[in-house]
Formats: sequence, structure tokens, C-alpha cells
Amino acid sequence: MSDGDVQETRTDTPEVEFEKVNKYFGETHVLKDIDLAVENREVVVVIGPSGSGKSTLLRCVNRLEEIQSGEIRIAGESITDPEVDVNRLRQRVGMVFQHFNLFPHKTALENVTLAPVRVRGVPKNEAEQKAEDLLAEVGLGDQADSYPAELSGGQQQRVAIARALAMDPSVMLFDEVTSALDPELVGEVLGVMRNLAEEGMTMLVVTHEMGFAREVGDRVVLMSEGRIVETGPPADLFDSPKTDRAKQFLTRVK
Amino acid sequence: MGETDTRKRGGEAAARDGLVTDERVKWAGVAVSVAFTLAIVGFIALVLLEYVDYGLLFAVVPRFVEAFVRVLRVVVISSVLAVTAGVFVGLGRVSRTSVTHAIATAYVQFFRGTPLLFQLFIIYLGIPSLWPPGEFPVGNWSFATAVIALTLNHAAYVGEAVKGGINAVPAGQMEAARSLGMSYVDSMREIILPQAWRNALAAIGNDQVILVKDTSLLTVIAFPEILTVFREINSNQFDPWTPIVLVAITYLAITLPLMRLVQYLEDRAEWGTQG
Repeated sequence: MSDGDVQETRTDTPEVEFEKVNKYFGETHVLKDIDLAVENREVVVVIGPSGSGKSTLLRCVNRLEEIQSGEIRIAGESITDPEVDVNRLRQRVGMVFQHFNLFPHKTALENVTLAPVRVRGVPKNEAEQKAEDLLAEVGLGDQADSYPAELSGGQQQRVAIARALAMDPSVMLFDEVTSALDPELVGEVLGVMRNLAEEGMTMLVVTHEMGFAREVGDRVVLMSEGRIVETGPPADLFDSPKTDRAKQFLTRVK
Repeated sequence: MGETDTRKRGGEAAARDGLVTDERVKWAGVAVSVAFTLAIVGFIALVLLEYVDYGLLFAVVPRFVEAFVRVLRVVVISSVLAVTAGVFVGLGRVSRTSVTHAIATAYVQFFRGTPLLFQLFIIYLGIPSLWPPGEFPVGNWSFATAVIALTLNHAAYVGEAVKGGINAVPAGQMEAARSLGMSYVDSMREIILPQAWRNALAAIGNDQVILVKDTSLLTVIAFPEILTVFREINSNQFDPWTPIVLVAITYLAITLPLMRLVQYLEDRAEWGTQG
């Protein structure tokens, strides 16, 4: 009975929802009264200066950081409830990191199959078949047996994306995933993300790539000093920002 | 010429000390090491030609072989147990559960903070005295003591090496594992420990070599180890050099293969670096 209900509500319940979220690191107030909803199939891009709380915001979604007040919901289900099974919750949220964080002692294929086999109990050959498909999708079909140390930064990051996708997440978090890459390798990673967005993946993306934000984002969120200062479609926010803070930031990054 | 000039300007202080160029340092190094080697080789040759009684040497070889086998048994058993237990000690040392952390820390402090010799006495003399005289049930208590003391002592050192190895794994590895929905235990076993093991291998290997040499203390609990045989022969024959040669060979017969094994394990844990 409840299964049907969940399916029903899913389409109009936001995939990720922040409500009055506050987060402190000791004395420092890093997230201030954050309200934000990411709808199903929506790509929300978070921009803002360093230290504005963008990454922290993202990391709260799969509880790599705990919040002090407010609530975060995934598909309507509170994740900040102390009773919630955090391992189950994290399976629905894929995360890609700035420094890739691939497992260096495992091949590309093993990086991708590990969680489905260990966490979901997917049979090994089934997981490998799927992993090969995912690696092919990110353009690394021929690198399945390579170790991370044998891959370029861009290739490693694409494996990391495949690894996150292997758990069939309903939302993907991208935390400055091109910031550690050589400039000529940024494009291949953004390309994979663009394809994902086109396939209808719900995405919350923290980035400094303004071109990507404008082109792929359905909505852009500008953060400053722990607050969301402006949010809107990329064309509006980039071309006619309403707040002074947004104007100031945008002139600096242009 | 021009090159020498730049070097000189770069190292005014070194020039005043007379160590102007890398060449001179290099030759100084060669001279010292060759002189040292010649002195050692000459001394060894002198000993082997003049002071070793080969009749005696071949006569006592079987006694060293026996000691070798006995010590090797203790070493293999204690080392395997110490490394296994040490992994858990290391996990306890990085635990954020305060009880676990406190117990692991106290364990390490005691076993690293008191001499192994003392620990041998506690077990060899202390434990049997808890029974009424003559009723202690274990037959070969010196062998058991050897294994227990070496295991407990070296598990503390291995634990510290494992702790260091775990702390050297970047925090992002645990974050990546957990964000895939893996439990803490799975993440530790699959992701953190294999990398920590690689980081700690050199230190663990070093400790196992020390464990081999620590067996020399077992003579005080009446365990006939390698130096016990040496002392018996020396005091009966008044000939130190003949058994000294055999002692060296016997220890190296254990430690050299052990160092090889550690090197092999280290090489095997180089994942995908271009070879």
C-alpha cells in the first residue's frame, strides 16, 4: 500500500529538499537558514566564492556532515531523523568528489562493482556486466582493468562517476569535480555530466565552471557567507542579477 | 669551467669546508666505504683462517640446526599471532569509541613501556605461581611463555604501525566508501585496511626482524635458543670464535629470508604504478 503512495508522491515531491537548515563548525555558522528544493530530473548548479558553504551544503545531503537544525528530505523522507538508516539512504544518493577518491588498490571495474556486490548483494557477473556498460558510457570501455594510478585525472573522475551510477542513485551530487583537473581534461568530465543531465538525472552540482552552469543548469543558486543570496534560471541570474552580491560575484568571475 | 664557477658561487660555505664539488664528496664516500669493507673483510678472513676450529665447527652444527628449528617455530607462530592481533590493536587505537580506544592505548603503553624481559618473567614465573605448587597443568611452559610474551609484546608495536598506516589513508577514501552505502566495517575491511597494510608493511616487517632477535632473551626462561647454544659451547671449549660464526649464520638464515618476504609483499602492494 505504502509503496504505491511513495510512487505517487514521488513525481511532485522534490527529490532533495532543504528546510531551514543550519550548520555550524564549532562557532562558525556555515549554513544559514537554507531553503532549497531540487525537483525530479532537475539540474541545480550551486556557485559562489570559496568558503561560502557550497560544498558543505552538498555534503549534508548524504550526511557526510551533520546539520544542527532544520530538516533535509530525499524524496519526501527525512534524512536528518536520528532513526534513519544512513547506509540505506546513501545508496540513493550518488556522490562525486573533487579529488576522485577512487580506491587505488582496485581496478576501474572493481571500483564500480564493489558497492553493488557488497552492499546490494548483486551477483558478481551481473555487476561486472553493468559496470562494463557504465564504463563504456563514460568512454572508458577499454580501461576496465586499469588501476587508478594508470589513468589520467579526467579518466579517474569518469570512473568515479560510473562508480556512483552503479548504485542506481535517484540523485547525483557533484562536488567541484573538475577543480583538480588539468584544464585540457575538464571538457571530457563535463561532457559526461551533460549526457547524464540530458538523460534526466536529478543533479546537484557545485562548480566554478560558469559555462557549464549556464548551459546545463536548469537553475542556478548563488551562495555567499552561508546563505543563498539569489536563485533563478541561468539566463536570468547571469545576465540580469537582482542582488548586489550576485552582481559583484559575477563581475569577478567573468 | 663555467659550470664549476656557478657551483662555486652556489656553495660558498661548502667551498670553505673543502667540499666543493659532488665529485669530491663522491670519492670521499667511496674511499671511506672501501676502507671500511677492507677492514671488515680482512678481520673476518683473519678469524676464519686463524681462530675458527673447523673440527669443532662441524661437530656443533647439529646443535645450531636444532636451535634454529626451535627458534623458527616460536618466531613463525608468534609473528603470525602478533601481526593478526596487531591489526586489532591498531583498529582499537583509531577507534572513536572511548572504551575501545582507552583499552587499546593502555595495552600499547604497558607492553611498549616495560621490558620484554620483565614480561617474560611475569608469564614464566608469575602465572604458574597462581596454582598450588606442582599442580600447574602446562608441560612445556617455557615454549608457551615464549609465544605468549613475544605475541603480546609485538602486537603492541604492530598495532602502532597499523594505526599509523590507517591514519595515512586519505579521509576521502572513507568518505567515498561510506557515500556508496557501505558500512563502517565493510569500508574498513575493503578500503582502508588494504591501504593501511601497504603503508604499514615496512614498519611491521622491521618489527618482525626485531622479534627474531628478541628470541635471544628466551635463554632466561630456559628456552634453548641460539645464544644458549653459543654459551654452552664457549664455556666448555673456551673458544668464542667458532660458535660466533655459527650464531651469525643461524640468525641471518632467519632474518634475511624474512626481509626478502617483506620486500616481496611491499612490491606486490604497488597497485598499478607503471613498472
